[in-house]
Amino acid sequence: MYLELAKRNLERTKVRSALAVVGIVIGVMAIASIGIFGESLKASVLENFKDLANEVIVTPAYSKGYTEIDKNDITKLKKTSYAECVIPVKVDQLIVSYKKSKLYNTIYGMDEKDVERLFDVKDGSIKLKGSCVIGYKIAKDKNLRIGYKIRIGDKEFRIAGILKDAGQRFDINPDFAIFLSTKDFEKISDKGYKMVIVKVGNLENVNLLKEFIDKSINARKQKVNVFELKIIIDRINDVFSKINTFLMAIAAVSLLVAGVSILNIMLMSTIERTKEIGIMRAIGAYRQTILKIFLLEALILGVVGSSIGSILSILGGYVIDMLVLGSAKYVLAPSTALYVAEGFFVGITTAVLSGLYPAWKASKFEPIEALRYE
Amino acid sequence: MIKLVDVVKVYKTQFYEVYALNGVNIEIKKGEFVAIMGPSGSGKSTLLNMIGCLDKPTKGEVIIDGIETSKLNDKQLTELRRDKIGFIFQQYNLIPTLTALENVELPMIFKGIRKEDRESRAKKLLKLVRIEEVADRKPMELSGGQQQRVAIARALANNPSILLCDEPTGNLDTKSGEAVMKIIKELNEKENVTVVLVTHDLSLSKYADRTIKIRDGVVDVS
Ligand SMILES: Nc1ncnc2c1ncn2[C@@H]1O[C@H](COP(=O)(O)OP(=O)(O)OP(=O)(O)O)[C@@H](O)[C@H]1O
Ligand SMILES: [Mg+2]
Repeated sequence: MYLELAKRNLERTKVRSALAVVGIVIGVMAIASIGIFGESLKASVLENFKDLANEVIVTPAYSKGYTEIDKNDITKLKKTSYAECVIPVKVDQLIVSYKKSKLYNTIYGMDEKDVERLFDVKDGSIKLKGSCVIGYKIAKDKNLRIGYKIRIGDKEFRIAGILKDAGQRFDINPDFAIFLSTKDFEKISDKGYKMVIVKVGNLENVNLLKEFIDKSINARKQKVNVFELKIIIDRINDVFSKINTFLMAIAAVSLLVAGVSILNIMLMSTIERTKEIGIMRAIGAYRQTILKIFLLEALILGVVGSSIGSILSILGGYVIDMLVLGSAKYVLAPSTALYVAEGFFVGITTAVLSGLYPAWKASKFEPIEALRYE
Repeated sequence: MIKLVDVVKVYKTQFYEVYALNGVNIEIKKGEFVAIMGPSGSGKSTLLNMIGCLDKPTKGEVIIDGIETSKLNDKQLTELRRDKIGFIFQQYNLIPTLTALENVELPMIFKGIRKEDRESRAKKLLKLVRIEEVADRKPMELSGGQQQRVAIARALANNPSILLCDEPTGNLDTKSGEAVMKIIKELNEKENVTVVLVTHDLSLSKYADRTIKIRDGVVDVS
């Protein structure tokens, strides 16, 4: 019955109530759709790093005087069950002669199948027996094609393949590099293994692998450092969460404005209805009853506004995703439901909090003074 | 039943003090019909509000059914008004968003009475004041006389022992005023409800068992 009473009071000032609802709708929509968008943005960025999470990079402990990784240690890594695949990499910086010029370039010595595992070719194929594969930028800069020859030291290599643009990587940067087979590499450089890339089957194995390395390879002396790319993903996650919180806080300002407008209209309402409050108090309404009726009004505004707002926010998230990311495939993530629910509850809370002061004030009216009010 | 002992009510404003009541002693027995008369500004409404526990005396004591009301807190005073007292005002004072029937139900809602029970009682009361046919109309759609009858029905909702009427016919024409007075008189006679009627209409004193005259905040015994 009190609910009915509250409802009718809101209906009495339809336009005013509708505006208050619109305020809440906008506020809830802003918060929830920005939340949805932020989550989509994060998801789309993380997708680029999807296969990095289960990668661990082992490097020599340079600070302890180690400049290379022992062959025996690589064998140890290959034997653990945590590692799905182990990619040892030799690296050197050498002068490379092209047709007309000479240049320092990064040369990698790797197994053919490992290069294949990590990269895709744009032209040619990945064949490293006496030939080489080069990054796409070096090919572009030096105008190199398949079948051309380059000279490193006193050896000549035919270009068998040109790699695709690999984007930003954390282990190997192939764009300006030349890849040789380990055997060929040993003919022109005496540098050893500078890096081992280990891919683990699932993420839990990252820690197990680290433990294994600490107990075996690094048991007596710290010979290698371990760098897990999961850290980078955690960072990205962290940064995006912060950005998202920040954006949502900005959106929350619109909800704050809605809250202030509810506060305003409800204060007006308490004054307009002073006499009615006096009547109700005279015929037996407790202070609490008056409080309840006004809070119910705020609650109704909040529930109606938040319901509409949270439904529309899915649409809002969809539109922003389409405009900014060009795709709405992330809108249907579980996190969307979370943000919709969050918007819903924050909206209701705002409305009720805004109604608290007017309701309290109305409940404090003295019956006789309220009755005499015209 | 109703007893006022040395009741003083002072209204303090920024510039002056008004002694609206200045030492009033009254005793009204159960089932009595008392008219309170006096010129405008003499303190009649103030007196009635004291009896109705809508306001507190500055000094003195108001005793209702043996209860010293100065000892009650806000919640207890509310319950006393709800259960023992029915108010009828000059301006009807109905809630505009509620229908006639709902207005009559309201005091019972405040008391927490079940929906079916309060609905049937509200209907019965509207019948008693002979306006059951407008039960579903809002106050705006009723005549002054009809509104005042709804107000009477509402005042009776929780079966009070005291009916306080402040110029109940003040806004009504002679005919509807008479009808309203007859209903009140009937309640007094048949249900033994104590009635305190404030008016400055001398012709209404014929309904009362007794008239108390008041002048400048004191009972006029001359
Ligand atoms: N809230 C108030 N503040 C200040 N003075 C008040 C207040 N209420 C009443 N008074 C004063 O107290 C005195 C008595 O007022 P009251 O309303 O009881 O008179 P009344 O007999 O009912 O008059 P009327 O017949 O015009 O209704 C008047 O002088 C009035 O001005
Ligand atoms: Mg008066």
